[in-house]
Amino acid sequence: MKVFYILLIIIFGSSSNVWSSNEFEDLKRRIRVLEKTKNQNNSSSSSTATGLSNRLNPALSVNGLFLGTYNDKGNYDSSKVARTGMKIQEVEIRAAAYIDTFLRADILLAIEGTSNIEVEAAIVEALLSKNLSFRAGKFFTAFGKHNQLHTHEYPFIDLPVVSEEILGEEGLNEIGVGASYLLPTDWFSEFTFQVMEGANTNQFNARAGSDFAYLIRQNNLWDLDDETTMELGGSYVFGKNNLAPSSNFDNKTQLVGADLTFKWQPAGREAYKTWVWQTEFIGSFREQTQEGWYTLLQHQFANRWWIQGRYSGYTIPNGANKEDKNQWSALLAWVPSEFSTVRLQYNHLNQATADENQVLLQLNFTMGSHPAHKY
Amino acid sequence: MKIYKFNITLLVLLFVFVYTPLSWAGLNVITTTSDLASIAKEVGGSLIKVNSLVKGIQDAHFIQPKPSYIVKMNRADLLIYQGLELEVGWLPVLIEGSRNPEVRLGQRGHLDISTNISRLEVVQGTVDRSMGDIHPFGNPHYNLDPENGFIIAQSIFNKLVELDPENKGEYESNLSVFKQKLKKKISQWEKKMEPFRGAKIITYHRVWSYFAKKFGLTIVNTVEVKPGVPPTTKHLAHLTALMKHEKIDLIIQAVFYEPDFANMVADKTGAKVLTLPAFVGGYPEAQDYFSLFDTIIDNLTSNLQPSS
Repeated sequence: MKVFYILLIIIFGSSSNVWSSNEFEDLKRRIRVLEKTKNQNNSSSSSTATGLSNRLNPALSVNGLFLGTYNDKGNYDSSKVARTGMKIQEVEIRAAAYIDTFLRADILLAIEGTSNIEVEAAIVEALLSKNLSFRAGKFFTAFGKHNQLHTHEYPFIDLPVVSEEILGEEGLNEIGVGASYLLPTDWFSEFTFQVMEGANTNQFNARAGSDFAYLIRQNNLWDLDDETTMELGGSYVFGKNNLAPSSNFDNKTQLVGADLTFKWQPAGREAYKTWVWQTEFIGSFREQTQEGWYTLLQHQFANRWWIQGRYSGYTIPNGANKEDKNQWSALLAWVPSEFSTVRLQYNHLNQATADENQVLLQLNFTMGSHPAHKY
Repeated sequence: MKIYKFNITLLVLLFVFVYTPLSWAGLNVITTTSDLASIAKEVGGSLIKVNSLVKGIQDAHFIQPKPSYIVKMNRADLLIYQGLELEVGWLPVLIEGSRNPEVRLGQRGHLDISTNISRLEVVQGTVDRSMGDIHPFGNPHYNLDPENGFIIAQSIFNKLVELDPENKGEYESNLSVFKQKLKKKISQWEKKMEPFRGAKIITYHRVWSYFAKKFGLTIVNTVEVKPGVPPTTKHLAHLTALMKHEKIDLIIQAVFYEPDFANMVADKTGAKVLTLPAFVGGYPEAQDYFSLFDTIIDNLTSNLQPSS
C-alpha cells in the first residue's frame, strides 16, 4: 500500500513538472471560455436598452409629464391652455421593434390629461436601398426643427408662440407616407419628401381625403470644428385648404420654414457643458398671411443644470384678423439623470388683450427602454 | 411658377447626386472607441481605413449622435463597437440614421466585440435604475485588460477575413505580429506592476475593474455613490473615513471626469488624485494600444507605494 502511495506521488509529482507552457495556455483559454458561458444566461440580447428588443417583444418605454401652472390672467377662460392649476400634461407609451427583416415599427400612444388616448405616432419604416428610407403611418412631419419633436423633447415646457399659432397645439402631425434620402455629399445632407392628409385644422382642414398636402425638406449639417456644428434647413408645404368662405372653393396653403442651429460641446467635457442656439422662421401664405419666428439659447453650465432663454414673435400683418404678439421665456432645468428632469419656466406674453405672466413647473420622466437621443 | 421652382430644386439635387466623393478600394472601418481603432489598424494594416468616432479624451457614454457620424457610418463597410451598453445612448440613432444596410444588427458589417469577452460585474438578479447607470450585462471597459487585446484582435481578424478573404495571408501575419508584441509587452507590464500587487486604490467610476483584476490592484470603493451618480456629502464622509482607516493614498479617475469630488476627498485624506487615460488618445503620449498601457502603468508605478 505504501508503495502504491509513493508511486502515486511520483506519477503526479513528475507529471506536474512536465506541463508545458502550451498546456497552461490551453487551460487559460478553457477557463476563459467557461467564464464566458457562465455569463451567457445574462446575455445582452435580452436587453431592450437599444430601443429595440431582440427577444421578439417590442421595447417599451413610458414617459410622463406632470405640470403645475400659474397664470396671472384669464384663469376662468376654459379655452386657454395655460391656466393656474396642476395637470398631467401627457403620458406617452411607446413600443418599438423590427417587424421582420424588412420593416421596423414605432408606435406612440399619448394620453393628454387623464383621458382620451390618441395615436400620436404610428410609424412603419423600411430601408429601400442604401441611403433611401421610406415610412408610412402617422408622424410629426418634417416641417422644420421644432415640429418634429414630441412634447417631452421640447426645449422649453411649452411651444413657442409662433408654432402654436400657425401649426396649432398638435403641430403638423399627419397621416401620410414619405421618403428621405441621405445625399452622397461630404457633409450631412438629407432630402425629405412627404405626402400627407391635409387634416391640420389651422392650415388645411381639407374637405376631402384626397386633398393631400406635399412637403419637401432639405437640411444640412456641417462640423465647423470638432466641437461645433451648424445645421441649416429649409421646408416647404403645399396643399389645398378649406378655410376660406365657401365661395372661394379652391384655396391653397403654402407653408415655408427655415431653421438654423448651432451646437457646441467641449471635447472631453460633454457631460458638463453645452451651448445650443436655434432659430426658426415659419410663414403661412393662404387667403391670409401668418408669420413669425423664435430664437432660443440653451446653456448647460454644470453636470446637471441648464439655463435657457427664448424669444418668439408672431404676426398677421394685414386683413380682418390683424394680430401681433410676442413671448419672452426663461427656464432653469435640473437634470438628475438621463431619465428625469425638473424644469421651471417663466413666460411673459405681450398681446393685444392684457399681457400675461406665466410660471410653469414640470416634472419629466421616462422609464423602460433607454432613450437614444436624436441630435 | 410653382412647378418651375420645383424643377430648379430637382436640378440642383441631381447635381448633388452625381457628385460622389473619392472612393477607397480597401475596407472602410468605423469603430466607436479609439482602442478598437488602434487594434483594427494593427490587424488590418494598409488594407483597411479605420476611423474611430469617439476620441480618447471623450466619455463614450455621453457622445452626441452628430449627423457627421451618420455620414461616416453611411460610407462604412464595417462597424466595430464595444457593446455592453457603453454606446447605448447614441449608437442606435447612428445605425438607423446611416441608412447603410451593411452595418445594421445581424448584418456582416456589424461587429459587437463584447460577445467574445469574458465579462466582469454581470449583474445577477434584479436590475433597475435605482441602482444608477448600471450595465446589467457587464462592465464595458474591458479594453483596459491587455489580455483582452488578444480577443479584440482575434475578433477583428475573423471579421476582416470574412469580409475580405483574399487578403487572409496579410491579416494573418499582421495578427501574429500584434500578438507577439502584445505578449512581450504584457510580461513587461506585469513585471513593472508586480511590486504593487494587492495595493488598495479608490476610483471615480467603475472604469478600472478589468485593469485592476489583471494587475492585482484592489479597488476598495468609488467616489461616485452609484455608477453615474455623483457622491453625496454622506458618501464623501464615509469615503474619507474608509481611506484613513485602510490607509489608501491614491484615487484614480479617467480624463473625462471633473476631478472636483476626488480633490475634495484627497484634501481631507492627504491622498493623491491621478487622472489617467482610459482609451487610446486620452493622453497625448498614449498613441496606440501599447503606449496606452505604457502611459497608465508609468503613471501608476510612480504614484503607488510598493506593497510590503
